[in-house]
Amino acid sequence: MSNIFDIIKRYPWLPSKDKYYNRAKSNVNEEGTLNQEIEADDSFGDAADFIKEIFSSDEIDILRAKTLNIFLAAFDNIETIPEGIEDDLNIDLYIILRILLYVLDNKSISNRVANLYSKATYNQLNKENDFILDFIYKDLDYKILYEAQPTIYKKKTVKDLQEIHSTNFKISYIDYIKLASKLKDEYRKLINNALLGGYVYLRPENLNRLIQEHVRTKILSEKDRNLANIKILKEKLLKISSFKEIFDEITTLWEKKKDEFKTRLDIEFEKEKGSRKLFPPCVQEILSKAKEGRNLIHTERLYILWFLNALNYSEEEIIDVFSTLPDFDREKTTYQVKYAIKKGYIPYSCKSLKSYDLCLANQDKLKICVEGYYSKMQEEQKFISNPVQYVRVRQYRESKEEKNTKKQFQEENE
Amino acid sequence: MNDLNYLQRQFKEFYNENKTKIPKVNSFKQREFGFIPWDQQIRMIRHIGYSKFDQLLIELTNNGPRHVYASGSLYSKPEIQNMEHKDYLGCDFIVDIDVDHFYTPCKNEHDFWYCKECGKNGNGMVEKCPDCGKSKLKKLTWICEKCLNIAKREIMKINDFLLNDFNIDIENIRIAFSGHRGYHLKVEDADLRSLSSDERREIVDYLTGENISFEILGLREIGGNVFGLSKQTLGWSQKIISKIEEILNMPNLAIESLLSNKNVYNLSLKFIENLVNYKDQLLSTIRKDENNNWTLVSSNLNMWYKFLEAIVKEIGIKLDAPVSIDIHRLIRYPGSLHGSTGFKVQEILVDELDLFNPLDEQTEKLDPIVFLSKVQTIQKLEITEPIVPATIIKGETYGPYKIGEKIEVPHHIAIFLLCKGVAKSI
Repeated sequence: MSNIFDIIKRYPWLPSKDKYYNRAKSNVNEEGTLNQEIEADDSFGDAADFIKEIFSSDEIDILRAKTLNIFLAAFDNIETIPEGIEDDLNIDLYIILRILLYVLDNKSISNRVANLYSKATYNQLNKENDFILDFIYKDLDYKILYEAQPTIYKKKTVKDLQEIHSTNFKISYIDYIKLASKLKDEYRKLINNALLGGYVYLRPENLNRLIQEHVRTKILSEKDRNLANIKILKEKLLKISSFKEIFDEITTLWEKKKDEFKTRLDIEFEKEKGSRKLFPPCVQEILSKAKEGRNLIHTERLYILWFLNALNYSEEEIIDVFSTLPDFDREKTTYQVKYAIKKGYIPYSCKSLKSYDLCLANQDKLKICVEGYYSKMQEEQKFISNPVQYVRVRQYRESKEEKNTKKQFQEENE
Repeated sequence: MNDLNYLQRQFKEFYNENKTKIPKVNSFKQREFGFIPWDQQIRMIRHIGYSKFDQLLIELTNNGPRHVYASGSLYSKPEIQNMEHKDYLGCDFIVDIDVDHFYTPCKNEHDFWYCKECGKNGNGMVEKCPDCGKSKLKKLTWICEKCLNIAKREIMKINDFLLNDFNIDIENIRIAFSGHRGYHLKVEDADLRSLSSDERREIVDYLTGENISFEILGLREIGGNVFGLSKQTLGWSQKIISKIEEILNMPNLAIESLLSNKNVYNLSLKFIENLVNYKDQLLSTIRKDENNNWTLVSSNLNMWYKFLEAIVKEIGIKLDAPVSIDIHRLIRYPGSLHGSTGFKVQEILVDELDLFNPLDEQTEKLDPIVFLSKVQTIQKLEITEPIVPATIIKGETYGPYKIGEKIEVPHHIAIFLLCKGVAKSI
């Protein structure tokens, strides 16, 4: 088994890092420096001292290159970190990343880096043996148990063969729900998993996917984001010239790249398809996330794809919506969009959206989602059962308003 | 108004005489309390916190409120009006079983509705008027041993779910008869208390069977063959397989009658016929658990979906989901009286549930019918509703009654009918 420090080098987000990592003046831990101590008066001493020290060390050239590579990879939607994340400087690199993201204070950049870093972590975790994984899970204080005897927890037939799933790991249902419910993925719903005696049985790769989410959330941690504090820290750090250089370099890179990602979401789509402003709040929310470059969960991606397809948006238009996502891969997306169009999948119903927790009916200012609409033909109040129906109601109201305005205009001019 | 005053006096008297029997809930000081008084102008008084248990008892004995509630949530400052400033500390996990929310066959006998829009009336459970489609309905819902037994059956499913699957410590489970049409269950567990509403939804889905994916559990069609679930797949798959085995072990006629029941399975005759004809082969396939090829009964995947969906509905707990998901709900205080029946909200231990019979309970300390007078006192009432269904309490049947009918009933039945608002004193 690797020694603990080796593990921490590969996974510097582990709580044990603070116990084993002793760079002078740098009892910098992302929780401490970026979240708690930040509230104290002269609160940025640790972060600034760390940056000062690390940026005057011999390793700075390598670290600087590595840092830039990560940002470049994130901006270019590359799904792996060049040179991996396992060498000696990885702890410093991780702290630099956290500090940089904090002072850059740009959601789109943070999302891209968090996605990339967590994905790289997932790939790395999948290479570890059970003993190291057991150490990592315990260090994170998740109630994940390792049992010497594997348990068969699932059996299914695939192409006439029995596929038997067994594992040595199980996670307490409380921790499972806390990690998995954020993913809002049908496969990760508790009901579709093997629960017994308070534990969900999972293979390491499935557990690692949950840890990936843990790491992503940790990097994005915005719970104590405070604009005044960010400003103070930024001012302090930018006085360190070598830090300023890398900060400026990243900002310039982003400014250049930003234009490339410029979303076409704001383009008014052709009238007959319904412009974006006519979309229900659930769709608006997902499109806004995409626009900010935030990661979309699987169900959100499917929903948007099927929704736009149902409104007859073209393959290219749909692909463009996804082009802003941190993990966008044009080839893969094209294949998936083509497949969905060919199959003619229809978007989720409002009932399904509620069950996936994607429904935002209460945010609908026009209250169509909640109250429905009055059908003159059938002389009764009708309720919205699917998002496309919402668009149709809005289109009808818009065209009616347009007609009324025209009529009014004509009357006024007669 | 006189009847309401009378009921309030009765409630006060009850609380005075039973002060020592009212249980003190755990984390008492951190709970928010709420009351609905007898004055019908006031809807609910809430955001009340007590530092001492005696203060609650004083409220009960002085005012004899119509309904008494305490929060499932814990707060540092439960008395603060603004929810955001109460300093939320966590919430017990609540399960509410109320026969109001699901079908029971006996509702056709004792539940009535009247459409305020078109005047149509009928019996049974309806959401909208079947004639005009409007939902402006006046409903009169009743209770009987049958529907309360169905509610009890639902709450008893906790053995399989909460104890086996979730491994909840039985010591942390509190169950109570709601005093009307169901049961409440509260899990007082530190880990569960930390879950958000979204996270609680995951548990609710697990308990009810909502959002199950048979495909993820293993049901699939490959080359014209249907491959089913395995009993080795832990969790819901095992539950479904056990239920299928239970059905297949029934006599053929019973299978046919169960699966053709329109309110539960409603399966096609062809599917039922095949299931009966090949039941031994299917049982053997399930037991061997080798390839789980279910094609023999039907190669139509949709039929299997329909069958499994109905099974999931049977297995899942018919709980009121919003109650379990909402972290700021108030629930009835154990030992208090239900203002719509005059029955006590009776706490019951898990192992007492099986024999518990709220309308005819033999163990005195568990009896929710608290106004049963030892000396047979008769009260005169006049019925004020068009129809009042028969009430069977303590083995005696009272009613059915019609509007204007003058009746003489024992004290506990009088309290019940007055609380239900279907009669007045004369």
